[in-house]
Amino acid sequence: MIESMLQVRDIHKQFGGIKALNGFSFQVVKGSIVGLIGPNGSGKSTLFNIISGFLKADSGQVLFKNRNITGRPPYKIAQSGLVRSFQISKAPEKMTVLENMLLACDQQIGETVLQGLFKIKSICKQEQMNLKRAFFYLDFVGIKHLANEYAANLSGGQRKLLSLARILIREPEMVLLDEPTAGVNPTLTKKFMSFLKKLRDEQGKTFLIVEHDMNFIRTVCDRVFVLDAGELLAKGTPEQIQKDENVLAAYLGRRALQKRTIKS
Amino acid sequence: MEFYDIFVYFATMIGIYSILSLSLNLQYGFGGLVNFGLVAFFATGAYTGALLAVNDVPFLLGIVAAGMVSALLGFIVALPTSKLSVSYWAICTLGIGEVVRLFLLNEEWLTKGSFGIAGIPRPWEDFWGDTYYSFFYLFFVWFFVGLAYLLIWRLSNSPFGRILKAVREEDDLALAMGKPVFIAKLKTMALGASMAGIAGALYAYYITYISPSDFTPMITFLVWSMVIIGGKGNILGSIAGATIIVVFYNSTRYLKDFLDFPAETLASLRMVAIGLLIILTVLYKPDGILKEKEKRYPLD
Amino acid sequence: MMSISQILINSLLLGSQLGLLALGLTMTYSILGFANFAHGELAVVGAYLTFFLCVSFKLNFFTSTIIAVVLSGAVAVLCDRLIFKKLREAPVLALIIASLGLSLLLRYIISAIWGPDPLSFSLGLAIPYRVMGAFITSTQIVILGVALATMVFFHILLHKTKMGKAMRALADDRALAQDRGIAVEKTIVWVWFICGCFAGLAGVLMAWETALWPELGFNIIIPVFCAAILGGVGNVYGAVIGAFLIGFVENVGLALDWSKVIGLLGISTWDAPLFIPTEYKTAISFLILVFVLIFLPTGIMGSEKGH
Repeated sequence: MIESMLQVRDIHKQFGGIKALNGFSFQVVKGSIVGLIGPNGSGKSTLFNIISGFLKADSGQVLFKNRNITGRPPYKIAQSGLVRSFQISKAPEKMTVLENMLLACDQQIGETVLQGLFKIKSICKQEQMNLKRAFFYLDFVGIKHLANEYAANLSGGQRKLLSLARILIREPEMVLLDEPTAGVNPTLTKKFMSFLKKLRDEQGKTFLIVEHDMNFIRTVCDRVFVLDAGELLAKGTPEQIQKDENVLAAYLGRRALQKRTIKS
Repeated sequence: MEFYDIFVYFATMIGIYSILSLSLNLQYGFGGLVNFGLVAFFATGAYTGALLAVNDVPFLLGIVAAGMVSALLGFIVALPTSKLSVSYWAICTLGIGEVVRLFLLNEEWLTKGSFGIAGIPRPWEDFWGDTYYSFFYLFFVWFFVGLAYLLIWRLSNSPFGRILKAVREEDDLALAMGKPVFIAKLKTMALGASMAGIAGALYAYYITYISPSDFTPMITFLVWSMVIIGGKGNILGSIAGATIIVVFYNSTRYLKDFLDFPAETLASLRMVAIGLLIILTVLYKPDGILKEKEKRYPLD
Repeated sequence: MMSISQILINSLLLGSQLGLLALGLTMTYSILGFANFAHGELAVVGAYLTFFLCVSFKLNFFTSTIIAVVLSGAVAVLCDRLIFKKLREAPVLALIIASLGLSLLLRYIISAIWGPDPLSFSLGLAIPYRVMGAFITSTQIVILGVALATMVFFHILLHKTKMGKAMRALADDRALAQDRGIAVEKTIVWVWFICGCFAGLAGVLMAWETALWPELGFNIIIPVFCAAILGGVGNVYGAVIGAFLIGFVENVGLALDWSKVIGLLGISTWDAPLFIPTEYKTAISFLILVFVLIFLPTGIMGSEKGH
């Protein structure tokens, strides 16, 4: 049964005079790993921010599990099962790896002032349970030995693993990954690829991944969408995309002209 | 006997300022909320408590009311400002502090303007009598310090506290992890404000005469130096900071008998020293004298 | 009610003084990334140094002002070198707190030396002139002239000199400026120098018009922040426009009989005349600021760094 997990319909977004997204639409099917590629400045991060609620689109709709989530606050979207990572993995420096994991757990008792003050017993029980789960996921990604380390002391690659573990402990249905292997060594990249496939095959999780690493895309993705200047340029399997002339032109042409890095 | 009076006075003021310091530490040290208008909540609480007491409202009710009115103000202040950057927060809250002071100065029908409110009755004065009163009040104030301490300690170790810890540095991450960041900030501001308000009522009941000139931005800056020097995110540090600054600030009053400076110059010099202390702390000991407690879990 | 021309003149005066301060503030804010709470104190430093030179060295007012202005610039640079430079990589809040400490330091050193009571330059009586039904004194004319001339000078500096261009580049995008080979630290020194000079000059002008007292800088800091943010952080023209806007609104707000406005808007009828007390002057600019921050975070004229 083909179930649509994420639907993006006709999204428009303008920043000042620049049209970041110009009527972009696409769909992600449940249990698939979809790649989103495109030259720098093509609007990928903007799209991610709009889907996850960090940015409001000028027009268009985003549907998650066939429910309209357009314009909902990001924390509500995360609570409904759609979780994202960040291009530069964020980790509060004064929190340990374990604290990060505990933070990530969804909808906890004690997250309001009154509960935090009075529901001491329930919180204790919950913490014990969440700690167990935290250790499990840290072990899964292989950083269990860093449990009591401050996030500030982690290497770039370890931070990415923490980022993944944090997302997993939330047991999301769909995950948005923003350049997960940027700045990561090849061994770790291979690990990532096997994680993703495992999660898709064994748990039916859905992924939408923004990536530049074509090898990654080829190995992991079932389907790829190519974004260029805010519009859909091509779509298909990784093999089809690689042979597409428009795609090649976009990359070659753009690279020559690309001078400034865009932080979106 | 005289030394005893001075000691009790110092200890009581340290208590009141400890509550203020704790309230700011909750907002800033734990929540990362830059409140440069703390004095507004202190003043609101003081005036609420004073006006109610002068009108024969029971004292405990006055204190509760002070807390609630200040909490409301804190909530309102946080509404527009929660979504702003650090610098903007600072400027906004500074402005709010000033607006409140101007309000207190001008709305004479309510606050008696620059004349202030005099003759504020002292809680249960008749019961305790002259000899024991100051001692009682000292304990009364420190009871609230204890409450504040407990409150912040409990919260900082709870999941709510964890959200604040994350929000302090990485708003976006907390949002991505499904945490209602904005609401958490509102609650923190309101709670901190209510604590400052209660401190205000306690202050009014102690000093028995308040006027707008008691509530200048200087109070905000003094409490900031307490939190910075004592250590942000460290509850004991807030009390330590309060002790250091209150003792220093008031002791120069007594130093003038030893130093050959006019009182005014001494008063200015102590502020110079505090300003210097703030700068030095930021440069060389940015975490204050007492660091934030680390949270380590046993590895099963 | 005050005549329109009087309101205009008062607004121009306040606006020009705020403008000089807002110019410096918006530059340091955008280049160094934090709101400098000690900015007002630089103005006070300028005013008191002028006073000191006039009174203790018996120099004439004009010479004293020039020397004091340059010294204010030097003080600003010194503060950067000793304090803010060490915090280049620190979080914004650390910079703000440090500037808070600095503001206390400067204000109370001045208070310790000269006392907290207001002083005056004692330059004799000013000659009032009548312009379009309003009064303006000779002092005020000079103040206005000097302030406007300085702003024009700054405009020329920004566009016709190499240093000015470097400053603009730095304000726009620090990383990019560095890539283009601009000497960042050297430019920052110049920015602080100009910032200090302008603030010092503004301080002298303000003190000349009214009086000197140590709280002079702190009193004005909220409207100055408002002007800089209103105009868009980093936008010097915006800062000046913002300053005049604030000057105008503050004066109009105070001079206006609000009972008529309420009547006009049809909200209700208010029989007695309704004026905002002068003590609420700062509150007006502050309320404008909150309004702008909520609805127009990049300011009226727009800036790169609105949030």
